[in-house]
Amino acid sequence: MAATAGTPTLAADLEAGRRKAEPCKSCHGPDGNATLPGTPSIAGQPTFFTHWQLIKYRDGRRKDPQMSPFAASLSDADMADLAAYYAAQRPLPRPATTGPVKVAAGRELARQHLCVSCHRPGLTGHEQVPRLAGQDLTYLVKMLRAFKAQTAGDLDGTMTTAAQPLSEEDIENLAHFMATLPPSP
Amino acid sequence: MPRIIPTAVVVVLTSVFALVPYVQGQQAPPPTWKQGQPASMADSPLAPVAQPPAPKAPGEMPVDKIKVPAGFKVSLWAHGINNARVMTWGDKGTLFVSSRVAGNVYAIQDTGATREVKVIAKGLNLPNGVAFKNGTLYIAEVSRITKMVGIEDKLDSPPAMEVVYDILPRDLPHGWKYLAFGPDGKLYFNIGAPCNICIPPDTHANISRVNPDGTGFEYVAHGVRNSVGFDWHPETKDLYFTTHGRDWLGEDVPSDRFDVAQKKGLHFGFPYCHQGDILDPEFGKGRSCGEFAPPLIKTGPHVAGNGVQFYTGSMFPPEYKNRIFLAQRGSWNRTEKTGYKVMMVTLRAGDVPKYEVFAEGWLQGGQPWGRPVYTQLMKDGSLLIADDYAGAIYRVTYQR
Repeated sequence: MAATAGTPTLAADLEAGRRKAEPCKSCHGPDGNATLPGTPSIAGQPTFFTHWQLIKYRDGRRKDPQMSPFAASLSDADMADLAAYYAAQRPLPRPATTGPVKVAAGRELARQHLCVSCHRPGLTGHEQVPRLAGQDLTYLVKMLRAFKAQTAGDLDGTMTTAAQPLSEEDIENLAHFMATLPPSP
Repeated sequence: MPRIIPTAVVVVLTSVFALVPYVQGQQAPPPTWKQGQPASMADSPLAPVAQPPAPKAPGEMPVDKIKVPAGFKVSLWAHGINNARVMTWGDKGTLFVSSRVAGNVYAIQDTGATREVKVIAKGLNLPNGVAFKNGTLYIAEVSRITKMVGIEDKLDSPPAMEVVYDILPRDLPHGWKYLAFGPDGKLYFNIGAPCNICIPPDTHANISRVNPDGTGFEYVAHGVRNSVGFDWHPETKDLYFTTHGRDWLGEDVPSDRFDVAQKKGLHFGFPYCHQGDILDPEFGKGRSCGEFAPPLIKTGPHVAGNGVQFYTGSMFPPEYKNRIFLAQRGSWNRTEKTGYKVMMVTLRAGDVPKYEVFAEGWLQGGQPWGRPVYTQLMKDGSLLIADDYAGAIYRVTYQR
């Protein structure tokens, strides 16, 4: 299983990223704005975030039937190009049926759980921390459950720790709140 | 019969975290890095420096900006090693290199002109600690120590990781470990405080040791917030170690520490007393700093000292014998960045140690392009410096 550690990254190439993103379109949409429920929009996500997720899929810390085999074939340069390309795309809101009571409860939970301390005001993300605002509701629920179940493989344990006290109802309320926020500030 | 686990194991954390006292509907604990932040600083822009997902290319590293004393020279020795941290030598000349968030362990083979980098384990849980003895590589993740027997002959198809010891706490905050063989042949490692500042469980905030067969676990030093670097004096055999101080107490306090443990069982003050002379505003009430072992050196606020390395080589001038190199990864919890240097300590009989800069230049215009994190000696006496931010290893040589 030994592999060479890969050539060092050169400056990421947006045009190469656009070409390499061809196989991603069927699930993540033509410009990284997905429409399939349960599939995240990756347009406008920070480069560090997308790149680290691809690394985690490649080394098996994060698992998905579609993403794991795709990431297995990516080089470090591919990952840098893809991350840079998607960071440059404009994120659009995902259509979601949200309930105002759940949204209000989620807003209060986001305050109690200090989500903004890493995800930034408006939950728009930065560096290795993803944008949550306007993300797909089903995907948000899926990821929060995975962090609670300690199977999401986060980088340094911050989210695994943060998700432990969340109830199933909390997770749903948080997701409803996050899904209603505008994806770009 | 050793338990065998696959090399590229996927980490499934299955345990309790020490610090989740949470009641539904109440304010949840903040992330570790923000814990202990005073309310007046709630909007502070200070936050840990994000780890880049990829190593820098050689052209992206201004190695010529690294300043060293006259006669010394710095060159780029290896690159493309994502998140390179601790370095340890195999018996047959392989350099094993750990990482932290990248989850990899690397093997580097020096072919003379170039260095070939192989990934020998991946997907591990913050595998910061690596140590080598008698043909076997030992790896410390958050809650376990494993070994790869005969690894140097099998770099292209690494052997299974066998468990040495796996009943360590599973807390992720300060859960990554430094790992090294002491002069007594035991494996030493840290169990960090699972917080920025808290009364830690009795099982945490220490340096511990275990026999290489997994027996004989015991605590060596207490009240150590998080030490991720140590070494032993080549003559006295005393344990010397760095410790990261707490955050959010101020721009210039507390200082990080460099300590010596001349015997087992000393308490170094956490969480009651910081830097040997500042009582913690919350946990220090009713305590006195005189109860605890004082630091050998206050190394500076927020400098993040990691690697500790006694110089035992023959390349550097004679006065370098038994000097200590301290690799400081650099600050985040301070407006003006500090650290990002390799410091040098000279121990002096009957006097305080001399503490001075050996290598600096990873900060340019107040911003880091690299972070020196650990050092290691080459056989010829030159000094390797690992940079986890740039994913590179530099070599420092001396010519009279």
